[in-house]
Amino acid sequence: MTDLGNIALWIALLIGVYGSVVGIMAGKTGRAELALSAERSVFVVWGLLAIASAALMRALLAHDFTIEYVAAYTSRNLPVFYTWSAFYAGQKGSLLFWAIVLATLSSAALLLNRGKYRELMPYVSVVLLVTITFFIAVMVFASNPFERLGFTPPDGRGLNPQLQNPGMVIHPPMLYLGYISIAIPFSFAIAALLSGKLDTGWLAAIRRWTILSWLFLSVGIVLGMWWAYVELGWGGYWAWDPVENASLMPWLTMTAFLHSVMIQEKRGMLKKWNLGLIIGSFLLSIFGTFITRSGVISSVHSFAQSNVGWFFLVFLVLAGLGSFTLLGYRWPQLAAEANLESMVSREAAFLFNNLVFIVITFSVFWGTLFPVLSEWVRGTKVTVGPPFFNLVNVPLGLLLLLLTGIGPLVAWRKASTANLRRQFVWPVAGLVVTAAALALVRMSDGWALVAYALAAFVTVTIAQEFVRGTSARHRQYHEAWPLAVVRLVGRNRRRYGGYVVHLGMVMLFVGFAGLAFKRETEVTLKPGQSAEIRSPYGHVYRVTHQGVSQYEQLNRFVTAASLDVYKDGTYIGVMKSEKRQHMDSMGQPTFEPSTVVAIRSDLREDLYVVFAGAVQGTEEAVYRLTVNPLVWWVWYGGLVLAIGGLISMWPSGRGPKIVARRRALEAGYVARVDA
Amino acid sequence: MSRASMRSAPLALAAALALTPLAAAQTPPASRAPSSRLPAAEMAVSPGPPPQAPRADSSSRGRLFAPEMAGRSQAPVTARDNDSLVKAIEGKLRCTCGCNLDVFTCRTTDFTCTTSPAMHRLVLARLDSGMTASQVLAAFEKQYGEVVLMAPPRRGFNLAAYFMPFVGLLAGFVIVGFVIRGWFRVRPKAPLEGAAAGEPAAPVATDDDLKRLQQELEKFEA
Repeated sequence: MTDLGNIALWIALLIGVYGSVVGIMAGKTGRAELALSAERSVFVVWGLLAIASAALMRALLAHDFTIEYVAAYTSRNLPVFYTWSAFYAGQKGSLLFWAIVLATLSSAALLLNRGKYRELMPYVSVVLLVTITFFIAVMVFASNPFERLGFTPPDGRGLNPQLQNPGMVIHPPMLYLGYISIAIPFSFAIAALLSGKLDTGWLAAIRRWTILSWLFLSVGIVLGMWWAYVELGWGGYWAWDPVENASLMPWLTMTAFLHSVMIQEKRGMLKKWNLGLIIGSFLLSIFGTFITRSGVISSVHSFAQSNVGWFFLVFLVLAGLGSFTLLGYRWPQLAAEANLESMVSREAAFLFNNLVFIVITFSVFWGTLFPVLSEWVRGTKVTVGPPFFNLVNVPLGLLLLLLTGIGPLVAWRKASTANLRRQFVWPVAGLVVTAAALALVRMSDGWALVAYALAAFVTVTIAQEFVRGTSARHRQYHEAWPLAVVRLVGRNRRRYGGYVVHLGMVMLFVGFAGLAFKRETEVTLKPGQSAEIRSPYGHVYRVTHQGVSQYEQLNRFVTAASLDVYKDGTYIGVMKSEKRQHMDSMGQPTFEPSTVVAIRSDLREDLYVVFAGAVQGTEEAVYRLTVNPLVWWVWYGGLVLAIGGLISMWPSGRGPKIVARRRALEAGYVARVDA
Repeated sequence: MSRASMRSAPLALAAALALTPLAAAQTPPASRAPSSRLPAAEMAVSPGPPPQAPRADSSSRGRLFAPEMAGRSQAPVTARDNDSLVKAIEGKLRCTCGCNLDVFTCRTTDFTCTTSPAMHRLVLARLDSGMTASQVLAAFEKQYGEVVLMAPPRRGFNLAAYFMPFVGLLAGFVIVGFVIRGWFRVRPKAPLEGAAAGEPAAPVATDDDLKRLQQELEKFEA
């Protein structure tokens, strides 16, 4: 089976090269049979990669330790749940995962567009095949998941304990899906440039794909934050690590695109800009892979590093040069079809929103690469960590939050003074009153105060939009309020789904601002001893150390420290933080002991307890106690964001059509002929 | 302006006030006094009062069954480990073990690291010798180079790191301004003939027209 997987990779490589060449010929000559052959090449490559994936999965589940990858990332006593996730836990497996997912999405894109966009599809096949073939080539020539060891070890090394977390089973595939699915809009954009078919056809084809990519990236990023929070034990969820930054950058450019594409759809403007954003998003997704794999920049994600990063750099440079050259070539054909009529219009607001998105992307990119630049220019290494990113990005992020509130309030084309007054009065009132109230109660952090005031501004904006839309339906169609809300959203999914996304962003900002009030302390406690920590709300948590117990569990030896917890004198439960020493099947320790944190959450704050270790082998324990305000707002915000994304991309069903038909019938516009 | 939208502003405010941590209002004034040598803004990050001291030693310390499985043995925490000045200094220093974390985060997170506890002891020793916070940071920079600081010091070439994003923002505004100006330039400037003659620019719309317009606008906005 292993040999079959290896052979499948080689054949897939050859078919990929064949399909790419045939696709180019099909695009040039317009011959339908060549276009069909290129499309079929994609399906064949998918089939071959599926065989290779099945072979690797079988080797993982069968503990075939003759394969280097299996021995490096699994062990006999690794739970099946995590054995499955070992497929993408290491470099080689994740390349195969990337290739099979891209092949699957490519096949889906070709099937969904069968019979449509005939001029574009041969080039779409080419771009997708070239990208898939690149990944296969990296596997075959530099990082083969089926590489064999010269001997058979009795057991594997096992999976890094930090990756043995449910979040890690979902977070990497989601991020990969986000990165990978950008290739579909990119392929249509390049196909439009290559074929010269620069009308809105390619935009229509990628509309749902772009939201899907954005959705996967959003969910992947939030799940990554959650994993970092519950698993790494440092009490935060975002550290501006280069790999985190690498996932944020394409998310920012995709978000910018989702806004600016509306201007192209409605007004025929920003064509060059939108193409640039799609190309940039794809290049940033490859750049993220380069950062993760190359080790060129120091990162906590060093477990994924290897020498293949340089393959990605070459691919990145070639893809960038090719794409932007094409864009330059088609530049004269991409003139705007309309002009901006007023600076006070939604188009202008979106322009500034895009500008801020791109500047934040640039600042993250710049900060991530500045250590390399500094070493190159001055020969001096520097660290660019959270203090820098917070200093630069907090004001930019708040500016973006402000624009999130302004955009929906301004009319398309041109907003009149009366319109502005009518739209802004309540959101601005919400902002001013919130800011004044928080200043009155002496909120100590200025940035947090601004964030909460802007959050109120955006929330009132969204509420106003929903209330006005629902009221209009209630008045016009005499619908009940709940039905009016459902139909309002159902009829304008993109618009109101977007507002739900904005609400999710507000919740995220509220959560981020809460970190300004984080409190933490370290204590050493003997059994029966207590310590206290005061939350920013004034609550007092008292923790009493119960003792330390040790026991074996699954593939690990656990040292658990327990605390009784009281909030303002009321007992609220036991919290248990652990040290886990993972073992192989022969009972030998594998990795360094990992820490499992204990978290007690409510909507307002988390009590976050970390067992640092025992004092001289006794039950006397060192704990780090942290009170993190508003962390659940981040998780719920992520959920709301995802729901909003789903609403926006959900295809139109039959429901509204039936309702519209009934109304038309009642109004006498349509006659029903009963048989 | 609907009544419902009027209700939303106070609701948002109530929610914000109920859920917003009000650190300054609820922290005893004594604990907010700038007792350290760092600026007040830096101290505001972790202004919490120190926890109460553990109760009198009325308990026993049983030995662990397998202490070697419980990770590296920890030293008991001292009051200075929780000192806000020490935390603030360590938050600006990068642990040199290669973990990419600051010293405070590393020593309170990666309990297998021996580098961050050593750097912590060095911070305490330097403070004990009478150095101020900035002198401690300068001493570390001299010892390890700029790489030991969590953010590039704001001087020389490093200023580019701080200014470039805002220069980018400014340049972006200028570029967008030029682009928009270009768009305005090609707009037809002459008013319509009818409008020039003082006539209404368009015929008065009927109710049906307005309804259709509303529907079209809704479709356009969606």
